[in-house]
Amino acid sequence: MPQKTPRKPGTAKPRAKSKPKSTDIAVDLDPSQRPGVPMETVPQPLAGARVPIVPQHADVPVYKHAGRRQMPPVFGTAQPPQGLSGLLRRAAYGKPDHVPSHWMLLLLADRVDVWEHRLRKSLPWAAPTAVVLAAGLMWRARRA
Amino acid sequence: MRALTYQGPYRVQVEQKPDPRIEHPQDVVLKVTRAAICGSDLHLLHGLVPDTRVGCTFGHEFTGVVEEVGGEVAQLKKGDRVVVPFNISCGTCFYCQRGLTGNCENSNPGSDVASGVYGYSHTTGGFDGGQAEYVRVPFADVGPMKIPDGMDDESVLFLSDILPTGYQAAEMGEIKGGETVVVFGAGPVGLFAMKSAWLMGAGRVVAVDHLPYRLEFARRFANVETVNFKHVDDIVLHLKDMFEGRGPDVCIDAVGMEAEGSRAHRVLGLGLKLEAGAPTVIQWCINSVRKGGNISIIGVYGPPWNFIPIGTAMNKGLTLRMNQANTRRYMPHLLEHIQKGRIDAKAIITHRFPLEQAPEAYDLFSDKQDGCIKCVLMPHGHA
Repeated sequence: MPQKTPRKPGTAKPRAKSKPKSTDIAVDLDPSQRPGVPMETVPQPLAGARVPIVPQHADVPVYKHAGRRQMPPVFGTAQPPQGLSGLLRRAAYGKPDHVPSHWMLLLLADRVDVWEHRLRKSLPWAAPTAVVLAAGLMWRARRA
Repeated sequence: MRALTYQGPYRVQVEQKPDPRIEHPQDVVLKVTRAAICGSDLHLLHGLVPDTRVGCTFGHEFTGVVEEVGGEVAQLKKGDRVVVPFNISCGTCFYCQRGLTGNCENSNPGSDVASGVYGYSHTTGGFDGGQAEYVRVPFADVGPMKIPDGMDDESVLFLSDILPTGYQAAEMGEIKGGETVVVFGAGPVGLFAMKSAWLMGAGRVVAVDHLPYRLEFARRFANVETVNFKHVDDIVLHLKDMFEGRGPDVCIDAVGMEAEGSRAHRVLGLGLKLEAGAPTVIQWCINSVRKGGNISIIGVYGPPWNFIPIGTAMNKGLTLRMNQANTRRYMPHLLEHIQKGRIDAKAIITHRFPLEQAPEAYDLFSDKQDGCIKCVLMPHGHA
């Protein structure tokens, strides 16, 4: 007999007798009723699919990882790479996606991206503040 | 348009950004009517998914009305109401032709780990998501399904992801009738996996989580037994004890990379990033399922690796099955279950927010406040 795992009272809630109403039980018991059985089907195009797929054109840089032979015909163009984070991303996508450094570089680029955006956002008030502070310091230095 | 945007780990805001446009002749642009926040959006929010760029709009569970139509789109016209699968699938590639639309190779240049996915970083294609007023939908004749007249958007919203994902999770457990099934995670996907396990003839279904309100919800919604793993000394021994000392026949991981339950994995995976999140639930599945049993993994884990006891799995003769949900193939069947009242999908919605309050919705969902199970955004109000 297995040793009983100690259990604080009132924590586990057995409901052995409560099942859904009988009409809801086992309606998909027969595997042939299940849409994903077998998971891999006899090859055939899906309804509505159209070939050939016209290749999408992009006005912004879109990277593919080095393990892919060619760009897929459709892709997203949101948030194109820019700045230092963009350079890091370019380096990351120069490596195939089974190489850990591909992912590590992307995680680093994500953190750099955040700081670049914070810096860019803060420029409208940070730049004038820095100028005023510098001017003040120079004025004090001249007086002293 | 107004859209939710990522601003760095734990920060999102709603701001103005350019309207999406037709970028490919098989595209449509949708006016979003409902967009749900998914548990996997929290992995993005928490900065755990590589190549999540500042400005990215999240959201891969949405319904909408067709606003603009690309030149090659034949099945949809302006004004059609549709629900959209989260995978972006061409319908013609090697994988789509075999029903594996979650593995489509024609929509994601960034990696081979998945197909393109809406609003889920450049690791899944760099597409903006649906937590916005409008969204671009590629391969519009293949993925989107028209919403039947007389059905409201919220009734079918979860056909976009979590309902097919939960169903596929149970299906991959290979339930033949009478099996004992343990579902780790009583969140939305776990709840639908529990419901689906009953539909497939499971003999006994147990939910494992640590949040009392979610376990209570699971008892009411899915009629399951529950175990709070924080209230037992060792969840693996506890589950073996529940099932004649052997363990359950099937274990389903509906948690993924941000699992509670192991301080070591949380430090290694979430703190130090030495592995891709915390694979605690996979360990529990491998250790608690009976020998020769089945494990179904539907929780999301990031690349490149995790520490899991694969030797134990081999020695116990386990079958491990996993995949992103091949959403499109499940939609008609699960629509029928909804129409016949077997699954009340929208019953899991606990909170609704206008788009402008999306950051508050993320806080509520992420912190598990106010009994939150599922948040839905309404970018154009109650229409």
